[in-house]
Amino acid sequence: MKDDNKPITRKEFMKQLRRYEKGSISRRQFLGVTGLGMATTVMAAAVPSLMPRKAWAAPNIGDRVVLATWPNYHEQANFEAFTEATGAHVQVNVFGSNEEMLAKLQAGGSGWDVGEDLIEPLDLSKLPNYEASAFEPRFSDAGSVNGKLYAVPKNWGTTGFVVNNKHNKGARMTSWKDFWDRTKTDYSGRTMVHDYQLTTIGNALKYFGYSFNSVDPAELADAEKLLLEVKPHLFAINSDYQPPLRNGDAWMSMCWTGDGKQLNTDIPTMEYVLGVEGGEIWSDYYAVPRGAEHREAGYALINFLLDPAINAREVQAHGYPVADSRTNALLPKALLEDPILYPAQELLDALEFGAAATLTDPNRAELLARFKSA
Amino acid sequence: MGMRIYAIVIYLFLYLPIGIIVLFSFNAGRHASDFHGFSVKWYGKVLSNPFAMDALTTSLTVAFVTALLASVFGTMAALGLQQFKGRLRVLFDAAIYIAIMIPGIVIGIATLIALVTAFGYLNPALAAAWPEWLGDAPRLKMGRVSLIAAHTMFTMALVIVIVRARIAGMDRTLIEASADLYATPMGTFRQVTLPQIFPAVLAGFLLSFTFSFDDFIIAFFVAGSETTLPIYVFSSIRRGVTPEINAIGTMVLAVSLSLLIAAQVMLRRRDRPAPTES
Amino acid sequence: MATKSSWAHRLLVLPAALWLLVMLVLPLLVVFVFSFGERAPAGGYIPAFSFDNYLNLPARLTAFKNTLILAPLGTFAALLIAYPLAYYLAIKASVKIRTTLLVMIIVPFWTSILIRTYAWIYILGGRGIPQLLDWIGIEGVRLINTPYAVLIGIIYGYLPLMVFPIYVSLEKFDKRLLEASEDLGATPMKTFRDVTLPLSIPGIATGCMLVFILLMGEFLIPALLGGGKVFFVGNALVDLFLQSRNWTYGSAVAAALVIIMLVTVSIYMKLVMRGAGQREDVSLI
Repeated sequence: MKDDNKPITRKEFMKQLRRYEKGSISRRQFLGVTGLGMATTVMAAAVPSLMPRKAWAAPNIGDRVVLATWPNYHEQANFEAFTEATGAHVQVNVFGSNEEMLAKLQAGGSGWDVGEDLIEPLDLSKLPNYEASAFEPRFSDAGSVNGKLYAVPKNWGTTGFVVNNKHNKGARMTSWKDFWDRTKTDYSGRTMVHDYQLTTIGNALKYFGYSFNSVDPAELADAEKLLLEVKPHLFAINSDYQPPLRNGDAWMSMCWTGDGKQLNTDIPTMEYVLGVEGGEIWSDYYAVPRGAEHREAGYALINFLLDPAINAREVQAHGYPVADSRTNALLPKALLEDPILYPAQELLDALEFGAAATLTDPNRAELLARFKSA
Repeated sequence: MGMRIYAIVIYLFLYLPIGIIVLFSFNAGRHASDFHGFSVKWYGKVLSNPFAMDALTTSLTVAFVTALLASVFGTMAALGLQQFKGRLRVLFDAAIYIAIMIPGIVIGIATLIALVTAFGYLNPALAAAWPEWLGDAPRLKMGRVSLIAAHTMFTMALVIVIVRARIAGMDRTLIEASADLYATPMGTFRQVTLPQIFPAVLAGFLLSFTFSFDDFIIAFFVAGSETTLPIYVFSSIRRGVTPEINAIGTMVLAVSLSLLIAAQVMLRRRDRPAPTES
Repeated sequence: MATKSSWAHRLLVLPAALWLLVMLVLPLLVVFVFSFGERAPAGGYIPAFSFDNYLNLPARLTAFKNTLILAPLGTFAALLIAYPLAYYLAIKASVKIRTTLLVMIIVPFWTSILIRTYAWIYILGGRGIPQLLDWIGIEGVRLINTPYAVLIGIIYGYLPLMVFPIYVSLEKFDKRLLEASEDLGATPMKTFRDVTLPLSIPGIATGCMLVFILLMGEFLIPALLGGGKVFFVGNALVDLFLQSRNWTYGSAVAAALVIIMLVTVSIYMKLVMRGAGQREDVSLI
């Protein structure tokens, strides 16, 4: 359909990806920050992580594993296959946001233990399906510290918005300016924004052409003004946007790659748009929290999900691109050329990685809280 | 007649969501919002899902221990308080009043930050004082115990109020008579006091159990990495409800209903005329 | 029975006293202390003495306003709807079915309030009541994620708590009073105003108190039915502790909420006491 956005080859694309260094969680930060700061960084990048819990009788790996992750992010059948193969059930815990997960992990542990890492270096002997050379270094590098691997890449994606074109009266949207302006006019009462400071504030900043990662008080003040103006026109502030979009209550929402793909597949009038001004590109990782009593099931699950055939099924379910060349070799060509998963280069050029400093910035957190309670 | 229609409308209002929950629990489809035909597969899924069952076990354990502690300590306190006068009594009453008045969310928050802060001091101290031959020092953290402690605090206050009201309406002459007949205090308690206050204690126990079993907001803050049934339901709701959640709701409802009917039948069988209270 | 028994009584009270001290008094003190502190960079607490957190309270003004409007409004609406039902149950309904009807009011309580509230998302959402209204010609009604949805959820969730105390107070009084009033030629309206209503004031007072207290700390109903747009102080608190991890400011908000509650409830109790002429049976708790 959108043949003007000529898909680029994977190799070219990955080469391009390396250029998006600006504002990303750099390895240096990763190395330099210890304790909580580091934990924050890691957790920010390392969602979903694995939290194996106590096994009952202890034959091999126990009978359960807890996976902290996002909604609509996995193929249910894979979990069932895992349970069948290993006897361990997979519990998917969904948190509202990175911040909530962090707060819960910290509070659930023993307080503000600065100096203790939240995740452990991975024992690669338990992950035979991990093949370092198959992974795009751009993503796997961010998961290692001092040559030790702490997190393996799950998939990456972008944050744009999804819009139901059934209601657009022939005027397509291409930018964050459209998103916010039309929310105030013909999409009034039908738009959703994330309950998540990084993207909601970041994409409001894009309206003015500021950096997605800005922590500049004056720029944040502009974003806040816009958000407050728009608030009466919003349908909801909620990151679980699929149900209302599907049942027709909402017409437009900030949206991640995979949700955009899922919605577009089921409802063709749903279009996934990356704002021309830019926005977010990100990557998620698998990690094992330190001190997990029985880690075996966690490793087993990560290893299982790293199996290229399994991972390919995951991709077809969640619709996010992965950085594993073995998996990509198994995916249908149509998917690898899908403009939602692999957007046009000029759109990608404008995207930024969410910086650790942005994620943990107290002013941005407070801004979102003010916006919600306004 | 008009009143009866009004009552019917209100009952419809009360049962409309219940009807929807039960209906969707038999939905064959995956998305809770569209009905794709009748199926009981979600019941099987719940029953074979160790996490739902685990959450249920946690909830039942927490609720039972909470109710037990609250009714025992609450009753003890209500009995002891009879002899308390003056400043201590005023302080105690104020504490109970505050415990009942404070919103659950504030109890949750206060318990969270107080315990996390206290653990921050206690854990290093504990680790330092721990004898090496015992292995690693245990680490205090939020979990089942903190949750039970928080629930018990609130429900104990409820039990005290309920039991105290009963004691106030109790026939004191019997106790005096018992004492006059040289019964031991323990004997008097067992033979005279307890039977009189028992309905209140039982009511307090049931109320505490129900509160603890259904509480979400305190547990949300205080339960650490433990998952109670309401927390399980809440996190499932956020990832898009499957009919599994409706099946859980329906089963909890069915179990409570059968317990209620069983209790009714038993009461009827005993056929005891209800005590007429003035 | 002097000293010995007094010691025994002290021992009886001791566990409860300790429990209240450790799990109520100390935590509340921590909140109070934290509310004057400073937020640590990572979100913890740095000892300090400043009023900044309190001076910053206006940033949550809307949440306080929403709570202080919707909590009394919800209480009042629940009262209006509950009263006739309680009246029907206590006075009009036949004794045979009365118990069953009462139990039927509690039964919904046994399904998690979470699940029941979630069911309202469907009922109030685009494919629920609005579609029905559309069908009969009323178009463009939106309920979900509005204050109306939250209000409906509140009434639904708290109705039983209001019905019961009123039922108890109506059920308790001597029905012969009603007959006497009628015999003396009073109209039903006058009987209600001069006999029934005054006698049910204790129940009304208890019910309103109960519902109001619980509503002031409400989180779930606005979270589920308000779509993140109808914000209560409870929602602000959850965000402060679980999103921005601002414990000190969160403590100030919590302290403010508690103080507002204590003040409103005390005023309310004074009013009720005066209205009821110091009646013994106005048990508010």
